[in-house]
Amino acid sequence: MKLLLILMVIAGGMGLSVEAGLLGPLGVAVGDLWATLSIFGVGAILTFLLMLFFSPRETPSFFQQPGWTLTGGILGVGYVVILTITAPKIGIAMMMISVLAGQVGKSLLIDHFGWLGVERRPVNKQRMIALVFICIALALIAGGQA
Amino acid sequence: MILLMVLLAVIGGCLLSIQATVNGRLGSQVGVLKTAFLTFSIGAMITVLLILFFEQPHDVTLMEVPKWRLLGAFCGVPYILIMIFAVQRIGTAVATVAVIFGQLTMSMLIDNFGWLGNNVMPFSWPRVLAVVCLAIALYFIYASNRAETASN
Repeated sequence: MKLLLILMVIAGGMGLSVEAGLLGPLGVAVGDLWATLSIFGVGAILTFLLMLFFSPRETPSFFQQPGWTLTGGILGVGYVVILTITAPKIGIAMMMISVLAGQVGKSLLIDHFGWLGVERRPVNKQRMIALVFICIALALIAGGQA
Repeated sequence: MILLMVLLAVIGGCLLSIQATVNGRLGSQVGVLKTAFLTFSIGAMITVLLILFFEQPHDVTLMEVPKWRLLGAFCGVPYILIMIFAVQRIGTAVATVAVIFGQLTMSMLIDNFGWLGNNVMPFSWPRVLAVVCLAIALYFIYASNRAETASN
C-alpha cells in the first residue's frame, strides 16, 4: 500500500516534468503567454469541476481570508512563464534543478525569518547542506553543457 | 545567457516556494480544492490580461497545434490531487523526495531522447555526478523533514 502511494507520488513528479516538457516547445510555437494560458485555462476548468463535486461543503469564504493569502495564482503565473521561457534554452533537467535550488533556498529563508505567517524556525544545518549539493549539481550540469 | 536563464529558473523556484507557503495557509482554512481552483482561475485571468497587452502575434495559435501539446494541465492537476491524498499517509518527507525523484528521472529522460519536441541533451558523466549530488541533497531534505515531523 505504502509502496503504491510512493509510486503514485513519483508518477506525479514525472507529470510535472512532462508538463514542463510540453510547455517549452508550445511556447516557441504559439508564444510564451499563450502556452501559459493553456495551463491556467485548462487547469481552472479542471479544478473548478473538482471543487464543485468533491470539495468539503460549508468551508469559509475566500472573502473572510486576508487578501494576501489569495495571491497564489499571481505567483503561479510568474513561475509558469519562467518555465516556458527557460526550458527550451537550458533543458528540462537544468531548469528543474535550478527551480529546486530556488525552492530550497527560499523555504530556508521563509522558515528562518518566519515570513508569511509561518512559525519561525532557525536555519537547519541539513537543509543548508542539501542546498550546497544542489548547487554543485547545477554547476556540474551547466559545465557539461558549455 | 545560460547563467541568466539559470538565475531566472532559480527565481521561479523562489516564487514556487512562496506560493506553496501562501497556498498552504489558505488551504488549511478553505480546503485544498478551493485553493487550487482559486490559484488556477486567478492565474488564467492574469495571463489573459498579459496576453491582451503584451503578446506579439504568432504564426500558429493554440487551436492549430497538435492537441497533445495542450495536455500540460492534465499532467499538473493530478499532481495536486496525488499530493493531497499521499502526504497524509506517507508524510511530507517521503513525498518530497519521491516527487523530486520523479521530476529528475523524467527530465533526464526528456532531455536525453528529446521527447515532446525538446532539444536533445544527451546523458553524460557530469550529469551522472549531478544525480549523485542530488541524491545526497535529497537525503538531507528527507532527514530535515523527518526531524521536523518528529518534533511537531
